Amino acid sequence: MQIEEVINKLGEEGAHYCDIRKEKLQETFITKKDGVLETVIQGEERGAMVRVLWGNGWGYVATSDFETIVQTAERALSMAKSNSKFKKRKTGLSKTEVCKEQKKIPMKQDISDIDLEEKILFLKEIEKSLDEPFVRSIELGYRDSITRKEIATTEGSHICMEIPKVFVYIAIIGRGNSIQRVLETSGSTGGYEVTRDLYRKTGIALEKLKSLLKAKPSPSGVMPIVIDPHLTGLFVHEAFGHAVEGDIVTSGGSCLEGKLGQKIASEKVTIRDDPTLQGYGSLPFDDEGVKARNRTLVKKGVLVDYIVDRENGWKLGLESNGGARAEDFRVKPLVRMSNTVMEPGDMTFEELVEDVKKGVYAQSIMGGQVNPAKGTFQFSAQIAHLIENGEITYPLQNVSFSGSTLNSLKNVIGVGKDFGLSPSLCRKPQTVTVSGGGPHILISETTVGGRT
Amino acid sequence: MKTKIAESVEEVLRYIQNENCEGDVFGTRKSTARYAIMKGEIADSSEFDDIGLGIRVLKNKKMGFGYCIPGEEEKGVRRAVESSRFSPEIEIALPIEKRIHEVKTFDQGMEDEFHSGSGARFVQAIIDGVLSLKKDIEPTGGEFVAVRETRIVGNTNDIFLEENSTFVHCEVEATISREAGSLKALEVRNSRRFDIDFYQLGVEAAEKVDSMREPSPHMPRNPPVIIAPDALAQLLGYALLPAFYGENVRSGRSPYRGKLDERIVPEKLSIIDNPYEDWGIGSGGFDDEGVVGSEVPIISGGVVKNFLYDLKESARSNTESTGNGMRRNFKTIPGTAHRNILVKGEQQCEDISLHGDGIHVDTILGVGSSNPMSGGFSVTADVAWLLQKGENRGRIDGAMISGNFPQVLNGMEFGNDNKKTYFAVGRHKVIIELPTARLENISVIKK
Repeated sequence: MQIEEVINKLGEEGAHYCDIRKEKLQETFITKKDGVLETVIQGEERGAMVRVLWGNGWGYVATSDFETIVQTAERALSMAKSNSKFKKRKTGLSKTEVCKEQKKIPMKQDISDIDLEEKILFLKEIEKSLDEPFVRSIELGYRDSITRKEIATTEGSHICMEIPKVFVYIAIIGRGNSIQRVLETSGSTGGYEVTRDLYRKTGIALEKLKSLLKAKPSPSGVMPIVIDPHLTGLFVHEAFGHAVEGDIVTSGGSCLEGKLGQKIASEKVTIRDDPTLQGYGSLPFDDEGVKARNRTLVKKGVLVDYIVDRENGWKLGLESNGGARAEDFRVKPLVRMSNTVMEPGDMTFEELVEDVKKGVYAQSIMGGQVNPAKGTFQFSAQIAHLIENGEITYPLQNVSFSGSTLNSLKNVIGVGKDFGLSPSLCRKPQTVTVSGGGPHILISETTVGGRT
Repeated sequence: MKTKIAESVEEVLRYIQNENCEGDVFGTRKSTARYAIMKGEIADSSEFDDIGLGIRVLKNKKMGFGYCIPGEEEKGVRRAVESSRFSPEIEIALPIEKRIHEVKTFDQGMEDEFHSGSGARFVQAIIDGVLSLKKDIEPTGGEFVAVRETRIVGNTNDIFLEENSTFVHCEVEATISREAGSLKALEVRNSRRFDIDFYQLGVEAAEKVDSMREPSPHMPRNPPVIIAPDALAQLLGYALLPAFYGENVRSGRSPYRGKLDERIVPEKLSIIDNPYEDWGIGSGGFDDEGVVGSEVPIISGGVVKNFLYDLKESARSNTESTGNGMRRNFKTIPGTAHRNILVKGEQQCEDISLHGDGIHVDTILGVGSSNPMSGGFSVTADVAWLLQKGENRGRIDGAMISGNFPQVLNGMEFGNDNKKTYFAVGRHKVIIELPTARLENISVIKK
């Protein structure tokens, strides 16, 4: 049975709204560790999710067997009916344009045209350029995928899209006084051309590891911090971005609830989330079939928008701005970011550090976690440098910093004029591909804690 | 009657043999029902039925992988054979043991509830539990997840192992809304059975957030840390246990390399991986490569006794698999992972929180940035309170705790409770059963 026939049938049975999202994924994943190919795996899967709204109740049912789509749809309908009995609060969907479109994200070099051997050879070349005496271990990875989605709704939208993605990484390990690891990544929607960027990153990774091996332990305490574009990306995504996701706002879990139109950051701060920007989080339509668009979230320090899907947009009185994304057909769409960036300012790196008496310059992401309700965050940098009297002095290892999101946004006292974008995976708990980026920034006060 | 997934596994094995290869196949069918809690009510529910096959072939000592869904078995095997062309040679002996440990992993009662679709009743009990304590405490988020899985591993040595399991996870976030920012606390339970008191879970979440209303009057310098099982399990799972994986030991990424049979922590501490414990969250009669092993003492009486191995790493390290070859799902290749860790120490006879002064850390943030190679960690104590003579003297905001394994284990004492914990973040899955602990060798930084 065709996807539209099932939709029509659910409509005839009285569902207030329903959509079907059918997906097919093809992927290749290769890893290499210390000269040995560890993983070469290719696979394909497909499935569909049916989503039904009956009264105020939702039912979501997914299947990996499209032959059972009629039964799946019936189950979703009965689940929605049952849930509507428990649901006291009203549910609705914001209006959206009906779209009938097919979109493909273009590939300069189609990944389907590149054979497995060439992809493996690419990793071999990268490995060769990392061969230095101080490097004890080299891990490399390559992943490509093509996702084809078809979304149809009872409102008449019917979207087909194809999203190709490539992600590559280098992880090198060295041993000095302690074991240290450096990770560099490149990733974006697009074709095999995305891999080229990794050649440039081998030199950066080697330099970082060399510095880390002679790095000193981090100081602890409250001090100013300069963070690089990778960490700015992490900060705008994790500390700020999750707090403007509509579902977190409407559930009462955001420190930015009710703050639209208020000044929440320094005037130097402008933040946007843009799925149309080329990055690892790009998409032509979201998983409700709403056309992707740029969303300016903070303009010169003022909170001007949230990221919303149709349901949370309705709750907040906003139109959907295309924020619904699901990890795959198994799960329902949640409000998610795409490519989240802070706009560059006008300061050079030298100007950012010149007035710092004692502080830290933190570079590259090791990890991080946030509590968007409390508005607290904790991030770790792969490497850092001490700043003393406006000068970058010696390298530091094991640097973590934490603070309050709102205080930190207000404490952004310098914004660089450079820009960088990094790919990553966001887990909320579903995993989706995103990018985060921006310039170097100076935060006047944060708690720095080193590991013992 | 054979299930669809069992037929598919047999089909894959036939195609592998037709290609003149050895190999194995991991087949899984997982049915999941999930209910979401939002703002005091059930927000929605979802179900999915996931079925797939992870394939490994060994051709001329070269190993290749592929995955597919039922109906596409031939394609899946072809992909695996193609990828094997690039593999280095490796001598892997696929298991031959056909008998599995009889481990209790399947709760018929839960299966019955699963099919009756009555999850909403349990979720309502959680909500009612939170609402029962005080008017201003609300259940603002949470979920109830019930899983029923059939897992099959078959190989060309004629083994065909099949096991059914059930699992339930529920969590609820209790919130006090205030002008000065809301206060939140989370309570989590995991079990293979429906032995959870759902109402009580809600009550405990409400009590926890209720105890955090007042900020602590001061912060002591370098206090001992009483750490809740969920938080400690995360630290152990991320910053310590990977250091005992065979590959990390062989490649010099573990501080415990060369320390087999050496005492590294006090005699009273033992860490055991026992996937054959009845009703253990990570328990199962065989690993995802079809290896039927036995319990693995990692640290026993303070002494390093074993490292953990899957089939590939055991071949490289010239030893035997310890039955720790696990797949995250059918789309990933097997790799070493701990399965059902039990942490045992000399337990105090009373509630460890009643011992004198310190800070009680309930929830941590940032554990993913820990360094298992050095054992170092630095995390934010996201939900914590000050203890004076065992009394909660107010919440502590914005403290960071940092330390290093195994030093932290050296100053550790255990309470008399025990909790089954489960976390999955990214490719890391942490399943540990452990008590509350008191840590001495740890630094606390507070703004």
